[in-house]
Amino acid sequence: MLFNSVVFLFAFLPVTYLGFWGLRTTRARHIWLAISGYVFYGYWNPWFTLLMLFSTLVSYFAGLGFLRWTDPRHRKLCLVIPVTTDLALLGFFKYANFGLDTFHSALQLFGQQVTVPHLNIILPIGISFYTFHTISYIVDSYRGNITPTRSFFEFAAYVSLFSQLVAGPIVRFRTIEADLEALGATSRTRWLTRGISFFIVGLIEKVVVADSLAAFVDPALAHYHLLSSAGAWLAMLGYTFQLYFDFSGYSTMAVGLGYLFGLRIPQNFNSPYKSLDPSEFWKRWHISLSTCLRDYLYIPLGGNRHGEYQTYRNLMLTMLIGGLWHGAAWTFVGWGAYHGALLALYKRYGRPWDRLSRGTRQVGMFVLVVVGWVLFRSTSFGMAMSLLHTMFVPTGGLLVEQPVLAVGLLAIATWWGMIGPNVYDMEHAFTLRRRVVLTAAFGASLALIVGSPFSPFLYFQF
Amino acid sequence: MTQPDLAANASAADLSAIPAGARGMSDTGLARTGALARAVARSVEVAGLLAIFGISFEMTARLQDWVRFRMPILSTVTAEEDLMVRDASGAHGRPNAQYRKWIMDSLGLRGPDVPVTKPAGSVRVIVTGASETFGLYESPDQEYARQLEDTLNARLHAGACPGRTPVRFEVLNAAFAGMTLPTVSQDVRARLARLRPDIVVFYPSPAQYLDVRAPAAATPDSSGKSNELPRMNVLHPRSLDALRDEVKSLMPGPLLSWLRRRSVQATLRQHPAGWRYTSIPVTRLARFDGDLRDLVGTVRTIGAEPVLATHATAFSRPRADSAALIQAWERFAPRATGNVIIAFDDTARVTTMRAAADSNVLVSDVSMALARAPGDNFADFVHFTDHGAAIVANALAPTILQAAGRRAECGR
Repeated sequence: MLFNSVVFLFAFLPVTYLGFWGLRTTRARHIWLAISGYVFYGYWNPWFTLLMLFSTLVSYFAGLGFLRWTDPRHRKLCLVIPVTTDLALLGFFKYANFGLDTFHSALQLFGQQVTVPHLNIILPIGISFYTFHTISYIVDSYRGNITPTRSFFEFAAYVSLFSQLVAGPIVRFRTIEADLEALGATSRTRWLTRGISFFIVGLIEKVVVADSLAAFVDPALAHYHLLSSAGAWLAMLGYTFQLYFDFSGYSTMAVGLGYLFGLRIPQNFNSPYKSLDPSEFWKRWHISLSTCLRDYLYIPLGGNRHGEYQTYRNLMLTMLIGGLWHGAAWTFVGWGAYHGALLALYKRYGRPWDRLSRGTRQVGMFVLVVVGWVLFRSTSFGMAMSLLHTMFVPTGGLLVEQPVLAVGLLAIATWWGMIGPNVYDMEHAFTLRRRVVLTAAFGASLALIVGSPFSPFLYFQF
Repeated sequence: MTQPDLAANASAADLSAIPAGARGMSDTGLARTGALARAVARSVEVAGLLAIFGISFEMTARLQDWVRFRMPILSTVTAEEDLMVRDASGAHGRPNAQYRKWIMDSLGLRGPDVPVTKPAGSVRVIVTGASETFGLYESPDQEYARQLEDTLNARLHAGACPGRTPVRFEVLNAAFAGMTLPTVSQDVRARLARLRPDIVVFYPSPAQYLDVRAPAAATPDSSGKSNELPRMNVLHPRSLDALRDEVKSLMPGPLLSWLRRRSVQATLRQHPAGWRYTSIPVTRLARFDGDLRDLVGTVRTIGAEPVLATHATAFSRPRADSAALIQAWERFAPRATGNVIIAFDDTARVTTMRAAADSNVLVSDVSMALARAPGDNFADFVHFTDHGAAIVANALAPTILQAAGRRAECGR
């Protein structure tokens, strides 16, 4: 089920909301949230709810294990078994074919002609996200950063929380634990206006900006080899903002939905295209992922504690795995490597960069990010190289469809993404002016939802 | 003056002059007035916000139509049905009209503008029929008529016409949704003749002969009045149409099924028992046969080569949703049961082949071509997807090339 669908807006959300606030106790609300999460997830494919339930049960019992045992051996088992199980599931569903294809290519490289089967696997939507939720819960419990919950429904509600189930933000149990435990005493109206405001702003980001950009970006990139240099730049700039507003829109809606149910979901985007350097970019882009990568990968690898070389190695490894997390393809690994290299280079040669003017650094960083998105968007390195060649070597060819509209849309997206306020910079008090603006925005968004073809969120694929 | 009146007219300063006992009454009155005022203000605000919501929705829907289809923001065309017009020559497409992806040219044909006089060296093919030919669910320019033009020209360039080779094939789409066979004959005679087509392709819709009344030619109307769409149509809310379509698409299968059944039963209740066809109505089939042969004769009288096609349905291949599709079709032909509709269509295929053989007319067995083609060819019980339309175009192309050969336009 998509947030930007009529069935969600006019059936699922009202029923879930009214049911939730109609219940009084924390336990009842946990149960209701867990059930609604499973309905939300099962709407797409009911069978995959079993997979989520299995993952939830394994992690829940691991949590109980941490509560019961204090000796390191048992605690280690409670860490290793569920994490291995979760990673095995993720590996099978997301990376099995990638591994087989890579193995096949490697054999071919050495002149071996072997038939390697291609498994008919459907990637369960959001598996990367809820696997992150369960793993972070287990690791935090093991480290003693959180006390595991004894309530199965509280944990099930956390894992299956529909607002952030399929495309994040990656919410760690510790950040939401207090709100989850106080659900029975939460005031309905406390965050109501903020929740509605966030949700509608997110809807505009997704439906009005990202989907409108997609209308010229997708056809252009489907025929990337026919594009001129200007066309390639327009398409890639369009994709740069499409991806941002799509994902940021989803996250903003998720945060808004959280508020509607008395849960404070952390910020996931902080105007990343305002970044002045690679390090700042990763503090502003997909914040929940970058902090998880930092806490569960970079720091355990040693972080920057063991000298310059080790720091670069750790940065590179973290970003490579971060790239692979996004998708089972070498282009994502390449994208991770590219950002790892940018971070390492900035760490080594950051001073001259920092001496440049603010505008130069912002535009420079933005162009570097756009180049990265070429790898991210491309289905092969061939496509990436072809696009980069077209962008940087003057080439004749086609422009995008409806170029005047495309440039107009890009101008709006550029202003909002690089100069304008993000949702956290905005006022959310329900003044009359704001009510009028939000009502008009909701009307426009709804018209686009019912009048446009199916438009899933880009990050669903991850 | 009564106490409430007094209270209503009193200012805050006056209130202090009212005795305490009377002031109690006044406070109640004031509170009521205040509550009423607040309720009115709240209602005005809600109404205002609803109006803003509606205007924003409507303006965005229109803007979207303009961006996607270049449909005028203030168009008087409000539905596909408005794309048909009735005049002295009968019923046909409305010239220069547009509704979303459906764009009519200056001659009232679906597709790009063409000159009345056929360009030298080209073969002019007119395809005609009902909604299957007009195109309903295909993407813009993917209806079979448009794909047929591309297919024919591609084959032409690939040497399909050795010897005498025309410059190009030009395919004009003269169909509109609901166009009956007698109306097609009328249109060919009264209007399409002046376009001097070389070939006229007809794709039938036999289920029209299971309608409450047998199909007849459209009554000509030379008054010109009915051609004008009301100016007030510009205010027609497109947002409601969009919402209605969305709600329909979200309706659960059982509810949709129940609504369809109810609609058919409501029609049946208006007629005596035995009104419904439970077997193939032979008279209607004979009428279809007669009208088809009449059309062949008409096409020949204008000097064109007729080409017939057999009608295809989604039921020629097993489908999981067959029952639901039959029920959907029954709603459009309530006079016959689902089984009769399908049986009638199958028999009409044989009738079409026989009429073609008897009249020495080329026929393309589109029904068979679609039955053999894998994939999603139908968007509903009879209308094509882009893929289905491509199969129809590919099935028709060889027959049309053969017809062009007969006319010495191709291959001799």
